[in-house]
Amino acid sequence: MTPSLAASFPEMMSSDGGTMDTLSIDAEKCTACMACELACSFAHEGAFIPTLSRIRIVRFMGEGFNVPVVCVNCARPACVEVCPTGAAHIDRGVPVVRINEEDCIGCGECVKACPFGAADFNEEKEVAFICDLCDGDPVCVEHCIYGALTFEPVQSVAQRKRRATAEAYAHRDEIA
Amino acid sequence: MIRDIGAQGILNVDLSSGRTWLDEAPREDLLHFLGGRGINAKLLYERVPQGTDPLGPDNVLIFGPGTLTGTSAPSSGRTSVTCKGPATGLYLKVSVGGHLGAELKYAGHDYVVIHGRAENPVFLWIDDDSVELRDARHLWGLGTREADRLIREELGDDEIQVGLIGPAGENRVLFSCIIFSLYNSASRGGIGAVMGSKNLKAIAVRGTGGLKLAEGEQFFELALRTRKELSEDAGSESLYRWGTSGSIPPLNEMGMLASYNFSRVTIDNAERISGQYLEDEGYLTGRESCFSCSTACHRFVRTKEHAYGVVQDSGPELETMLSLGAECGIVDTEAVIKSNQLCNDYGLDVISTGHVISWAMECYEKGLLKGKQADDLDLHFGNVESQLDLIGRIALRKGLFGDLLANGTKQAAEEVGGDSWKWAIQAKGLEQSACDTRTAKSYALAFAVNPRGPDHLMTECYAEFGVTEEARALIKEITGDEEYADPTLLEKRSDIVRWHEDCYAASDALGFCAFTSTAAYAVNPRNMAKLFSYALGVDFTEEQLMTAGRRIVTLERCFNVREGARREDDVLPWRMMNDPVPEGPTQGLVTDQKTLDRLLDEYYQMHGWDPESAIPSKKTLEMLSLLGLCSEIVAD
Repeated sequence: MTPSLAASFPEMMSSDGGTMDTLSIDAEKCTACMACELACSFAHEGAFIPTLSRIRIVRFMGEGFNVPVVCVNCARPACVEVCPTGAAHIDRGVPVVRINEEDCIGCGECVKACPFGAADFNEEKEVAFICDLCDGDPVCVEHCIYGALTFEPVQSVAQRKRRATAEAYAHRDEIA
Repeated sequence: MIRDIGAQGILNVDLSSGRTWLDEAPREDLLHFLGGRGINAKLLYERVPQGTDPLGPDNVLIFGPGTLTGTSAPSSGRTSVTCKGPATGLYLKVSVGGHLGAELKYAGHDYVVIHGRAENPVFLWIDDDSVELRDARHLWGLGTREADRLIREELGDDEIQVGLIGPAGENRVLFSCIIFSLYNSASRGGIGAVMGSKNLKAIAVRGTGGLKLAEGEQFFELALRTRKELSEDAGSESLYRWGTSGSIPPLNEMGMLASYNFSRVTIDNAERISGQYLEDEGYLTGRESCFSCSTACHRFVRTKEHAYGVVQDSGPELETMLSLGAECGIVDTEAVIKSNQLCNDYGLDVISTGHVISWAMECYEKGLLKGKQADDLDLHFGNVESQLDLIGRIALRKGLFGDLLANGTKQAAEEVGGDSWKWAIQAKGLEQSACDTRTAKSYALAFAVNPRGPDHLMTECYAEFGVTEEARALIKEITGDEEYADPTLLEKRSDIVRWHEDCYAASDALGFCAFTSTAAYAVNPRNMAKLFSYALGVDFTEEQLMTAGRRIVTLERCFNVREGARREDDVLPWRMMNDPVPEGPTQGLVTDQKTLDRLLDEYYQMHGWDPESAIPSKKTLEMLSLLGLCSEIVAD
């Protein structure tokens, strides 16, 4: 579970008593192997088709830098707010933002509303699609052997970042 | 559009007429030749008759991603580019990584075959099923970086994958390359000159479709398991951490570090041109993967403000550190990074470029090249400024000297004369990669019989060094005893070479990087056969896979036989056969004619090739179902 959605649903706890895990991205570790896109598209579409992957790698060619982009599960998701049919909704079970294919009328409003480019459109099926965290066990994470994608409690992410900040501070003299 | 992976769609483009058409390779060809390199070889054999001018319009240039390229199989994103090669006049296959091969598959094409020659410079734009030849006059003369950027800008999509040549290819330098996806290079044999001779600056591809497999779930599961095993292989771990140039320190210690144009095998301060140094000194800013790769051996580096300015580029790899570093007597990281960047931008093969320069340096030091003949350059070993200057002169064929070197060491030595041919580190017209074939005997044999000339990128026999547990286990599997993991032994070398030839050919055909199957070993004939079976819904065994590898290797040999190549062409550079290693732990080793003959005799016999002529026998061709295709090369 992402920090934003977790904040909206404090009652959603994982079995060990902490909040649900969050999909966390460390772009520094991404090598643009595209394994996440391949795994995601296969899991959701039964075929290898990166353009239908819910997670996408944006490459900065010539700069040696790559950034995975995926739904962050906003607490007040713009896609849900603009959806005229309720196809885009918050599934409190996982919890995650979902787009229900049956109810989607293909208007594409969610794609335009999403500030992250995380919702996209399947032209053949004429429906929008977005990451569903694979119902709580994201296949992209399993395929990311470089550790750029992790699925872990949000507190672990915070702890790691605290540590990195502190290390930079502790070694500030060496860096200078 | 999602299509079946077993389709074998060929996009043909005739640049002379501007016509494009589609056809298909038959299903049985896919099972016989596995796809990629294999189908490429068949197409080349059928479409390029004996005696064709490699730089004429009748040569074809074939782009063939592997059959599994575009799937989640680990490190399966490679593309074979095949044509008749201008450096050797013989068969040329170059394997390249990057992301273009997968993009081509997603666009709906399994092969692209370029015929003819355009009147004016053009580039090919493949946008799913739409195919267009576009004017490239404004791109002609530009370096690969700028041209790649302009093409993506012109077509308005940053995710387009581009394969293109630089000025070196345009000028038909006999060791010019094709740069793919900016970070990767189809390097060897002057393949860029073939593209240049066709007035084809680039191919740009956007594919939005996908691939469906026969038994997808089983494939997906096995691919993930293999991906994980691969990332844990010792060879793979080192390749991720330090890249290929992580081998520099051990090579130096073993006395196998080619330096000073192979006149030495160690160099002082070797660690300064190593992958470890790139990491420790903060040059390394990122690691890049080819499509679906689980190793990410590719480096991305950035230099600090220095004599050569700030350089930000991909690489340098092991061969670059050696050819543009140690071989030219240079142990300056930033000089190698700068040289590498220039080669990438001009579109030059770093291996041959370095060896052409190191050859010129040796000529200069021995007094065979001097003054005006060398454009008044100081060509002592270690002169970085001259090296940087020469790279540009070669790419642009500037002046008599640039033009001389642009034809490679074989032709240049014929011009310069004297004994200079003896230190031209080439055979068949191709400069040898920086592996010492005086010491490593499997490599020696593999290089001698390599249809495109002496290098490690048709058959990689790294296992004979036995540096990892996995490598020693493989040697045991091939020979029955781990003790044969000793590169200086002559016994069992042909068994080792044959296994690696078959495995490498199969890897290339399916799109696997050879590092996954012949440097790390988690991808092996067993799981390759399984993945192929699941993908196509067939029941393909390990033996069938290796036989198909053999079929590919044999067909490539047949192409060369038809061009007139015989046993006497299966040689090593003169220095490897006549100048024993001068120093270090390998001192005195050499692969002389007698040694090579012993290796060749065993090898030809094992293959069922005639020992006198090295022509595959009728029986061998029959056994491999090649007789129909290649009947003209066997005597009745």
